[in-house]
Amino acid sequence: MIQLTQEVRAGWCLVAVRGRADSAAADELESALRSAVEQHPKVAADFSALDYISSAGLRAVLQAARAAQERQAEFAVCRLSAPARKVFDMSGMHHILRIEAELPC
Amino acid sequence: MSGSEFTFDGDLGELERLAEEVEWFCEEHGLSSDVEFDLNLALEELFVNAVRHGGCAGMKDAARVRLERTDDGVHVEFSDRGREFDPAAVPAPDLEASMAERKAGGLGLHLVRNMMHDFAYRRAGEWNHMVMRRPV
Repeated sequence: MIQLTQEVRAGWCLVAVRGRADSAAADELESALRSAVEQHPKVAADFSALDYISSAGLRAVLQAARAAQERQAEFAVCRLSAPARKVFDMSGMHHILRIEAELPC
Repeated sequence: MSGSEFTFDGDLGELERLAEEVEWFCEEHGLSSDVEFDLNLALEELFVNAVRHGGCAGMKDAARVRLERTDDGVHVEFSDRGREFDPAAVPAPDLEASMAERKAGGLGLHLVRNMMHDFAYRRAGEWNHMVMRRPV
């Protein structure tokens, strides 16, 4: 189960991702992040309550980051939970994604 | 010796039960959430590969998992009835490639190889059979 909530604060669209970003939830995650990127020039995904992420979840994040790049929108992944940090580190995500310790606002 | 065995149909809806079985196994053996995470991830990646790329979609009893707590960790066996496929033969992804150059595949198996030790593959009849160990 994945839970996605969105709020706009100080010009940023914040998407909080909670629960499990597995292969069953990846499409839902990708479309939530993509639609945020399509509607807002600055998007931050909050991964502080993400319990689990597999390669399918990572691909969803990468697809959203690509969409942001095409639109020249800002896209940051913030406050990685310990499990998310582990998977991001193993996958070299810091080479291609903007990863922040805190939310932008 | 205390092993646990599970069987899964070739349907991504089974991922929820896979996660539950791993959780119960880890609870029963007093294993940390870190171990649970790695076991869950490795099994999801192998299972999803078999369903999406191995031809297991829609197959009854497509995959079997066996977990056993041993002196040096958790012994993991994963078997599926998909096409012959040795995950160890898949090249590692280029982790320093730019976003545009990054290829979609290979990341899941890369994670499995990083988290699991002593990975071995063999084809036995209609089954792909993989064994590995998560050190504890």
